[in-house]
Amino acid sequence: MTDLFLLGFFAVFLLLGLKRPFLWICLYLYVDILAPQKMGYGPITSVPVSLIAFAAAFGGWLMMDKKTRPTFTFRQGLMLFLLVWAWFTMQGAQFPVEAVGKWDWVWKTLVFAIFLPFTVTTKLRFEAAALVMVLTAGAIIISGGIKTVFGGGGYGTLSLFVNDNSGIYESSTISTVAIAIIPLLYWFTRYDTVFKPSLPVKLFAAGLAGACLLIPIGTEARTGLVCIAMLGLLVLRESRHKLLLMVGGVLLCIAAFPFLPQSYADRMATMLTAEEDESASTRVAVWKWTIDYAKERPLGGGFEAYRANSFTYRMPQTTGEGNMTTTRYDEVVDEGRAYHSAIFEMLGEQGWPGLGAWLLLQALGLIQMERLRRRMRRRGDPNLAWLGHLAIALQYAQVIYLVGATFQGIAWQPFIMMLAGLQIALVIYAKRHDSPAEATIGARLAAGRQAGQPHAVATGAGAASPPLR
Amino acid sequence: MIDMAVIVAIHGLLLIAGYRLMLRDDLDEDPLLEGDGDGDGAADERTL
Repeated sequence: MTDLFLLGFFAVFLLLGLKRPFLWICLYLYVDILAPQKMGYGPITSVPVSLIAFAAAFGGWLMMDKKTRPTFTFRQGLMLFLLVWAWFTMQGAQFPVEAVGKWDWVWKTLVFAIFLPFTVTTKLRFEAAALVMVLTAGAIIISGGIKTVFGGGGYGTLSLFVNDNSGIYESSTISTVAIAIIPLLYWFTRYDTVFKPSLPVKLFAAGLAGACLLIPIGTEARTGLVCIAMLGLLVLRESRHKLLLMVGGVLLCIAAFPFLPQSYADRMATMLTAEEDESASTRVAVWKWTIDYAKERPLGGGFEAYRANSFTYRMPQTTGEGNMTTTRYDEVVDEGRAYHSAIFEMLGEQGWPGLGAWLLLQALGLIQMERLRRRMRRRGDPNLAWLGHLAIALQYAQVIYLVGATFQGIAWQPFIMMLAGLQIALVIYAKRHDSPAEATIGARLAAGRQAGQPHAVATGAGAASPPLR
Repeated sequence: MIDMAVIVAIHGLLLIAGYRLMLRDDLDEDPLLEGDGDGDGAADERTL
């Protein structure tokens, strides 16, 4: 039944795309996030929905879609470098068979992220892409949120659509993504034109935001709590009533505490006694191992290189209660522990060049979004207010992701790469709005050759005011 | 049961969104950009 429903939805969306091929891009976003082929048990498992959506998205854009001159930015160049570099490191990978398994999805993620800015060229397309991403992730989040309310949560036990604890369905990853989309939800309540910001839409957005906050509780992912704290700081940055907000936040936490499951409180408490927690202890040990590994292989060990790690350490175990506690040190041997950090994931697998490119990709995203938001604030054009606020939402989503990524190996997470693609598209859009003649690298080079000559093409608002940078 | 209800609801919203997007011309032509200097004819091309 689920299979037929999902296949029917897929087919209808394919038909809709015949008139507007951009909808096939949206369809690929949906498939890549939700993985409907993993949700069913019948016919959908044998239909290559991902491949069909991938082909439709590329083919539709190439042959049917209305195009602007493709603009290739520096950040897309960085993604291309990462793609080539990942392939290069795979040639000498320490675990070639396992490396191929990761390469299979990483290359698609990068190619699509490079491609996405070519297609998102209008305001409505930004809305459409972001809406599909938020609603699709929202399906997983709402389901998880409801189950959490009814007591179905727990570390490693919250049942989502797909129970393989990988990709976006991994507990820490879905917690990070859930918190990261909250700024986008807020944006939709102000600027959405597909579902106009009416009371039902705002109520739905509020409900979904509530479900997002429940996911870290349901999954008992400590990273999720850190991400919520980061979101709190970002909200504080935007608020005019900072003191009021801080007091309200503290009161809300106190009021919510009795409703939290004991297992959640116990797990969060392990953050305060990290040295007694195996997960936290091995995390630090893996990070140290990765730094040593990078000294031996500065160009990276290829995908899944963490499988080479093995270490022994002493972990304190405290037993008893009150004054009658005893602490003994157990020797723990660990092998093949995951990186538990995107930074060390990149360092171990792609070496210093890969880590450098990835950090630059992230830093540029933050800087570009910051410049856009400041520029829009100064400009004060109501027609472009949506753009500045979308830049804020995308920047905050990225900040939350980066906080989450510090404690989990999600350097290549497709959802986040899609957000990076949207950021690039937004910068290009702003540039095109200001100066169509300089929106492409070729045009900029041509303009450079004619330096000193008056600008003959840029007109309208862009010509009257400095460009959006 | 919860999963199925959520799947149906969200896919319903996605279909409504898809249908509404299909009907809108500004999905392909941005009024903000069209009026701001794409008049040189080079920015919009049907082919590569």
